[in-house]
Amino acid sequence: MAGGYTVNDLIRLLLHVAWWLLLAPLLPGIINRVKSWVAGRRGPPILQLYFDLARLWKKSVVMSTLASPAFIAGPAVAWVAVVGAAMLVPLGPAGALLHFRGDVLLMLYLLALARFATAWAAMETGSAFEGMGAAREVSYAILAEAAMVAAMLSLSIETGTVSLTTMLAPSAGAGAVLLAAGLFTVLLAENCRVPFDDPNTHLELTMIHEVMVLDHSGPPLAVILHGASVKLLLFSVLLVQAVLPMGELSPTAAPGVLLVGVFTVAVGVGLVESFLARFSFRRVPLLLTTAFLLCIFAVLVAWKGGAA
Amino acid sequence: MNISVNLLVGFAMGLNLIALGSNRLPSLIRAMSVQGVLLGIIPLLMEKELDWRVALVALATAIGKGVVIPGLLRRAMRAASIEREVDPFIGFVPSLLLGAAGTVAAVALAQGLPLLPEHAGSLLVPGALASVLTGFILLVGRSKAISQVCGYLILENGIYLFGLLLIKTTPLLVEAGVLLDVTVGVFVIGIIVDHIQRAFDSLDTRKLTALRE
Amino acid sequence: MNPGTLLLASAASFVASIVAGNRYARAWLTLTLTGVFAGLSAALIVLLGTTDWEWRSTLIVGGQLVFLRLDGLSALFLVLVSVVGGAGAVYAHEYWSEDDYPTSAPRGRMWWSGLVLSMGLVLTIVNGLHFLIAWESFAICAYFLITLDRQRRAVRAAGWLYLAASHAGTVALFAFFASLAARTGSWELGPLRDHASLAPLFWLALFGFGVKAGVFPLHFWLPDAHANAPSHVSAVMSAVAIKMGIYGIVRFSGWLPMPAAAGWVVIALGATSALLGIAFAFAQDDVKRLLAYCSVENVGVIMIGLGGAMLAAAHGHASWGLLALSGALLHVWNHGAFKALLFFGAGSVLHATGTRTMSRLGGLWRTMPWTTGMFAIGAVAVSGLPPLNGFVSEWLVYLGLLDAVVSKGPAAWAAMPAIIMLAMAGALALASFTKAGALIFLGSPRTQAAAAAHESGRWMRLPMLTLAALCIALALVPVLFWPAVARAVNAWDTSWPPAAVPNSLTSIGRTQVALALAAVAATFLLLHKVRTNGLRRGLTWDCAYAAPTAHMQYSSGSFAGIVVGWFAWILRPQGIVRRPRGLLPLKAFRIGHNPETVLELVIGPVSRVIVQASRTASRLQHGNLQAYILYVIAALVALGSVAWLAGTP
Repeated sequence: MAGGYTVNDLIRLLLHVAWWLLLAPLLPGIINRVKSWVAGRRGPPILQLYFDLARLWKKSVVMSTLASPAFIAGPAVAWVAVVGAAMLVPLGPAGALLHFRGDVLLMLYLLALARFATAWAAMETGSAFEGMGAAREVSYAILAEAAMVAAMLSLSIETGTVSLTTMLAPSAGAGAVLLAAGLFTVLLAENCRVPFDDPNTHLELTMIHEVMVLDHSGPPLAVILHGASVKLLLFSVLLVQAVLPMGELSPTAAPGVLLVGVFTVAVGVGLVESFLARFSFRRVPLLLTTAFLLCIFAVLVAWKGGAA
Repeated sequence: MNISVNLLVGFAMGLNLIALGSNRLPSLIRAMSVQGVLLGIIPLLMEKELDWRVALVALATAIGKGVVIPGLLRRAMRAASIEREVDPFIGFVPSLLLGAAGTVAAVALAQGLPLLPEHAGSLLVPGALASVLTGFILLVGRSKAISQVCGYLILENGIYLFGLLLIKTTPLLVEAGVLLDVTVGVFVIGIIVDHIQRAFDSLDTRKLTALRE
Repeated sequence: MNPGTLLLASAASFVASIVAGNRYARAWLTLTLTGVFAGLSAALIVLLGTTDWEWRSTLIVGGQLVFLRLDGLSALFLVLVSVVGGAGAVYAHEYWSEDDYPTSAPRGRMWWSGLVLSMGLVLTIVNGLHFLIAWESFAICAYFLITLDRQRRAVRAAGWLYLAASHAGTVALFAFFASLAARTGSWELGPLRDHASLAPLFWLALFGFGVKAGVFPLHFWLPDAHANAPSHVSAVMSAVAIKMGIYGIVRFSGWLPMPAAAGWVVIALGATSALLGIAFAFAQDDVKRLLAYCSVENVGVIMIGLGGAMLAAAHGHASWGLLALSGALLHVWNHGAFKALLFFGAGSVLHATGTRTMSRLGGLWRTMPWTTGMFAIGAVAVSGLPPLNGFVSEWLVYLGLLDAVVSKGPAAWAAMPAIIMLAMAGALALASFTKAGALIFLGSPRTQAAAAAHESGRWMRLPMLTLAALCIALALVPVLFWPAVARAVNAWDTSWPPAAVPNSLTSIGRTQVALALAAVAATFLLLHKVRTNGLRRGLTWDCAYAAPTAHMQYSSGSFAGIVVGWFAWILRPQGIVRRPRGLLPLKAFRIGHNPETVLELVIGPVSRVIVQASRTASRLQHGNLQAYILYVIAALVALGSVAWLAGTP
């Protein structure tokens, strides 16, 4: 690392930052478009989130009388954690900004840090609703975490490596279908989409993630929304690269494939939200357990595939 | 040939888990019936040249398990106007985990069994074991009579998979007999369901303990 | 300077501080700190050097020559003893001062010095008989510290339970050392890996030390003892005393030949402890019980790493075993630092409000900003989150296990479930400490006592700051601490090559620094932005309800409700509910109780049966001389017939 930064490195840095920070708010736009298209509505512009972010960034803030400065620090730390996690995820042949053995665990734990910071900020307000959201978020995350680790284990076994860059390069092999289904379910759960959570609801009792940010406003809310979109992009990129052999594509084809893949995932999320209703909370653990089992079976298939 | 059979059995094993995890009776019945159809197709794929008798029995199995029995069950369900399995003895998540552990154990166990070399790589035996186990879990862990019928049928599917191992030596007549048994059983249960419903206004088999004297 | 001189100076100041402790608080503190610094320097000299310190004296105690040794492994634990021993002494100076506790404060000081001294002896003694003596005096010092506040019934009960459990472990250790001495012909300890016949003795050691370490299901004494002890004692118990059990297991798994199943059993115990320990922690409403159960989890993490290393040693994979063991040993330090910090934080809250029940607290950040900050640092660290130190050691353990999985040996079948359970335990730890931090410090005060809290003084803040700084140092420059850990690993298995700093550890250190800086910068930028945009204070949004009260906030039971439901099979939650009835319900409540399952549902009933059986048997003892003679005759006849039966082939 020491010395010798070239123009190439600078370009790579800019490319990564642009991909993660600028592209991310597009995904919720695509999802909403798909939903409105299915429902036969015109729907919001695809760039709606960009407008929202710009507007929120200029607004003043209302803060609960009970909240400490950590109420503002929470979103900031969560955003740094999510973006930090994103920097560890490779982008096809462009690779990750930072990679070393075991970086996959750092990625998972950075996402956990974001969860901690968000839940902490939510509890600052002393609101019963936000307590409820935080409790649900941290509880369901236990199962989601198990599923994610199992998914990463299957990739590790498949490729024999423990770094994201090499783990995601080939395709997931025989267990790809299982892994894709498992990861997609985790994506829905971790990004508070239907059937786990309803990002559009206005009934606090039924929400998980959305209810935690009820009291946020202005720039902190903008940071939260942007972080959420980066997280969604991160999971989509992970899913696409886990399934497709990104490392074997030519450097020119790979970005296109990645873009198309991420777009497909977003459309898939939109379709799921159009055709499924939110599950009752008693069903959420069942669905997450299913995702976990899918990933476990992917582990076993990877193990057997390697042995044969 | 073997690959497509394995794929079908793999699907059937997945359906086992779906059956364990679903709390709505229609989806349980659907999982069971799709499994029946999948298993019905397998004999067609196993034989090199198609014997018409095999084809006939396969067709009968597929129709019986995929259409007739589910239809009967759906009717019983409507008659009793229940849709959901509420408050099972073994919760959905634990039964799902049990089923998954059982599936893994079945695969591991089948590797240790002294099987014929032609069955060594096949999923038939693990699939059979897993289906039998799933059937047992449903029979033990569910309280509604219809779920238990489904459990019974999935168990039968497992026995049928075992039977496929012997397809070359035993005529499918055995299977036909089994199928007949099951159909009769389902009819009987259908009648019982009707009677329980009339007597107790519910399909909860727990209420049957009131009859123990 | 020679480690021997330093250790002698350390021991001398501790002996002096025991004497001085009865009267002179300041002198005691000075002497204790002198002893601590001397011990710390000795340990660091050994850890950073290359040679062990050995002292074979001509002094005879109990018929055995005194033989002391400080090698990499014991020095690693001695560092922990010294740091927390010193920090706790400073903390106690205010927390358990003469003004508040005129009778127990002097006793507390004396037993404290005794505890630290005897733990130091446990670590340096290499003679089985002397080890047992030191072990016993360590247990007894701890007992008297736990029961300092012996007016309270719960404290006495917890003390008895601790003493009983501790002695059950000591019995196993007696058997262990005695049979070791019988089979080797000497009480002297040392590497004995080539005596294959000694392997089964490991199970005795695992049980004996496992009780002290609080490994699930031998942890049943731990929550009561750690919760009811004064907080500085809880800190030293949780952060250091249970590590003596770990030390024993690590030490003798390194010295003795291992049974084939040992690695599997240790890793399975570790994974169970990690997951169930933290599940129990999440359910608690008493912050100190929560912290105590969390120690069970962390002991589990350490045991997972150790088990991985044992499997690696058995199958000859030095590289990943080394990572797992270094993770485990680094976690010994990390857990010591953040758990002591958290217990000091909890003590500070208890000091200020008089309650440990989280559902009676809330909103303390206003009155106790320092404690809040320190507790938050501890919470992030204990949840294993980057950029703090808990992550570094857990990451090393994970990496070792992942390498084991990737190498596809038989050990992978232990490593895969362990990784998944570790991940779930991590997520549960996060949940537990979100709950603890939020219920105690955030929102609005739920009771008068919480509203009237006050920040603790500098004697209590100073040790917290020191430990927090230590946590941050361990997190940001793990490379600095690696040589010490590598030396300890080398002392465990000398056949493994001395390890250079793994490149990825360097990367983790740098990334953690970058993350910490980025987080701080982002926080300040956002705060600045909020200030320039304008900030208005308003009521918390409660679905448009304008008069929220503090009791509407989420409570401990409601926060943990979902997970308690999942783990109900082992947590066995009990509760009395009175639902609101009628049109205008006046009274409704739910009282929850989370039992210590192993104690209340296993050991309790079993011991009741034993007591019942003994009662029945004691009817035989009625004082009637004739009947006693009859017993003697019956016994003689019975013995005679046994001898006769045994004699006939």
